[in-house]
Amino acid sequence: MEAGKRKTEEEQQTLVDRKRKAEISEPPTTTTTVTMNAVETLVTQIQGLSGSPNDVVALHAHLNKVDEALRGESARLLPFLDQIDPSIHSLGYLYLLDACTSGPVSKELAANLVLITSRFITSCSTEQIRLAPEKFTGMCKRFKDQVLLIEAPMRGVAPLLVAVRKVQPSSEHLTSLHPDFLQLCLLAKCYKTGLSLLEDDIFEVTQPRDLFLYCYYGGMICIGQKHFQKALELLHNVVTAPMTSINAIAVEAYKKYALVSLIDNGQFSPGLPKYASSSAQRNLKNFCQQPYIELANTYSTGKIAELETFVQKHREKFESDNNLGLVKQVVSSMYKRNIQRLTQTYLTLSLQDIANTVQLNSAKEAEMHVLQMIQDGEIFATINQKDGMVRFLEDPEQYKSSGVIERIDSSIQRLMTLSKKLTNMDEQMSCDSLYLAKAGRERQRFDFDDFDSVPQKFNM
Amino acid sequence: MASSSSSGLTFKLHPLVMVNISDHYTRVKSQMNPPVTSTSCSNTNGNGNGEGGDSAAVKAPAPPPRVYGCVIGVQRGRTVEIFNSFELLYDSATDSLDRAFLLKKQELYKKVFPNFYVLGWYSTGSDAEESDMHIHKALMDINESPVYVLLNPAINHAQKDLPVTIYESEMHVIDGIPQLIFVNSSYTIETVEAERISVDHVAHLKPSDGGSAATQCKFLCPLAAHLTSIHSAIKMLNSRIRVLHHYLVAMQKGEIPYENSLLRQVSSLLRRLPAIESEKFQDDFLMEYSDTLLITYLAMFTNCSSTMNELVEKFNTAYDRHSRRGGRTAFI
Repeated sequence: MEAGKRKTEEEQQTLVDRKRKAEISEPPTTTTTVTMNAVETLVTQIQGLSGSPNDVVALHAHLNKVDEALRGESARLLPFLDQIDPSIHSLGYLYLLDACTSGPVSKELAANLVLITSRFITSCSTEQIRLAPEKFTGMCKRFKDQVLLIEAPMRGVAPLLVAVRKVQPSSEHLTSLHPDFLQLCLLAKCYKTGLSLLEDDIFEVTQPRDLFLYCYYGGMICIGQKHFQKALELLHNVVTAPMTSINAIAVEAYKKYALVSLIDNGQFSPGLPKYASSSAQRNLKNFCQQPYIELANTYSTGKIAELETFVQKHREKFESDNNLGLVKQVVSSMYKRNIQRLTQTYLTLSLQDIANTVQLNSAKEAEMHVLQMIQDGEIFATINQKDGMVRFLEDPEQYKSSGVIERIDSSIQRLMTLSKKLTNMDEQMSCDSLYLAKAGRERQRFDFDDFDSVPQKFNM
Repeated sequence: MASSSSSGLTFKLHPLVMVNISDHYTRVKSQMNPPVTSTSCSNTNGNGNGEGGDSAAVKAPAPPPRVYGCVIGVQRGRTVEIFNSFELLYDSATDSLDRAFLLKKQELYKKVFPNFYVLGWYSTGSDAEESDMHIHKALMDINESPVYVLLNPAINHAQKDLPVTIYESEMHVIDGIPQLIFVNSSYTIETVEAERISVDHVAHLKPSDGGSAATQCKFLCPLAAHLTSIHSAIKMLNSRIRVLHHYLVAMQKGEIPYENSLLRQVSSLLRRLPAIESEKFQDDFLMEYSDTLLITYLAMFTNCSSTMNELVEKFNTAYDRHSRRGGRTAFI
């Protein structure tokens, strides 16, 4: 368009010139194009209306109206960002930044945008952001894509953590940013930061997909940190979450769940508890039969050689699922399992005997294994190096100290709050219309005592 | 109005009557519009203004209502046993209870319980009033000496006894004029096994809510009663020690003159604890303490698990498309 071409030339000039020229040309009234003039008035509006909360709400309404138009001009909005301050004019900055990133983004532009966005996220004001949470979330997701585009996931970790905390209504809520943050942690291999987010208990979920991804990535992070217990919990959540039909995340999680269960518990039962959805109960096993459930069966025989041949045979399948590292850990956990079994039979045993029973190559290896296990607290024993004997001991913990009492006490408190929450949920569920409709149908047709007036069906 | 009765009658009250009166009162109170605010705070006069010191109310709440009704039962010799009750409407124009309805109800009850007679009437409030005497006199043609059962609906957690009083009327000479006045009578609670079970059931219907559960089942659940009494004892001990502490601090600061005898008593009190101080005692004590805590933990766990189990059942019934049906029908 001719007016458009004239504008691109004017971009070279100073701000003042631009303004003057724009005043001469006619301001378009259609919403499809926005002149530089309109953008500038918008900027001044943002600067003016970011003071009190009422003004911000008005600004928000106005920004919503011009949002579509702004997106059309995405390429040219970048210089305007310098005129407004992200900490005071957060809402306006958000909308402009969002419009900037809505179009396709090249690698160089991505690098620039990443810098701007991370600075914005760290300095923006929480109250203003909470007025437009979906926009903020969308922009953060695009930020994650840009970070991945420039192949520097590490740079996105800290800003996204701040973003998650800012957009969460409370620490019990799950937002769509949680799984993105965890994904970046995984890619950047900084598991500890991810762990800090996993400490919170989640009670409110809006999107089921968020929950699945959050627990799946969370499980992987815990595996990375060797917190197998917590990983098991999180993966269990994915597998037993309510789902009307099976999804790929649950299948992958089930595979990892089987492997972690073998490492941590030494056994794995393919059955799911009754609170898992019926579609999961019926279908998950079929997807994971070969080779994971068979791996669990081989593991339960206790023979290392068989296990290793099995793993070798299905090596490619494990590798394509990205689970080979985990499978190797399963194999090494077999040794531990066998040594632990020995503690139940023998009081003392020589290192050579241990090596023979557990099918290790030499007494030296056996000594290394036992030493590692003592250090990890998995068995209690003393090694007498003079005659190569290992003496198995009882757990010395007497549970008599005040530290133990404090732990139990705090657990009881936590359990009490949880119990209250559960009772509330139970009461809410009893009033749920779907439940009442179905529960009414299951009543007996006739009461023996009297033909009472309770309706056979609750017609809701 | 409350010297003790000299008529020599023994009164036996059944819990059903109390539950009936309480239910009547609660129903009327909750159906009133605007709703009455809770009477548990700053209500010295159960019948009086509910606006007390309650600044939280938006508009002045109505005073708690008075409900009226009739009690029926059996009189054998000197024993009066009050079995049941029914409700009556109070006609403020004639200042009496609805006579026609009362007679009709009496007839109906006679058919089912031929032994029962109208023994008197009941009402709610904190104290008997002058106007009650009119109603009392009006009933005298049915029963020469009616009883007046009064229930105090104000919830008082500190009170140990039942808030029910039974009044009789006696002729006393006051200021040279013989008058009928109300006199307090003692009574006992009497119950049949079937009644006890149903009243127990009703008392436990409300979802347990800390304080109210304790007061409700104080008479029906000995463990809760025991624990509540220990709790109140410890609370009292705590507050007394606090008072002493405050006193000592004030003495230390010099606000109160030194009093050596008191200080000697305090020091002897302090020397009484700890009773034993040895390693073995500490060990055993902590072990027993952690055992008890673990049992509580286990109990809480079981409680939580059962709630969760119910929640999962409901969820599966409501949302799972192919949940297992059958095998779970209402037990008759």
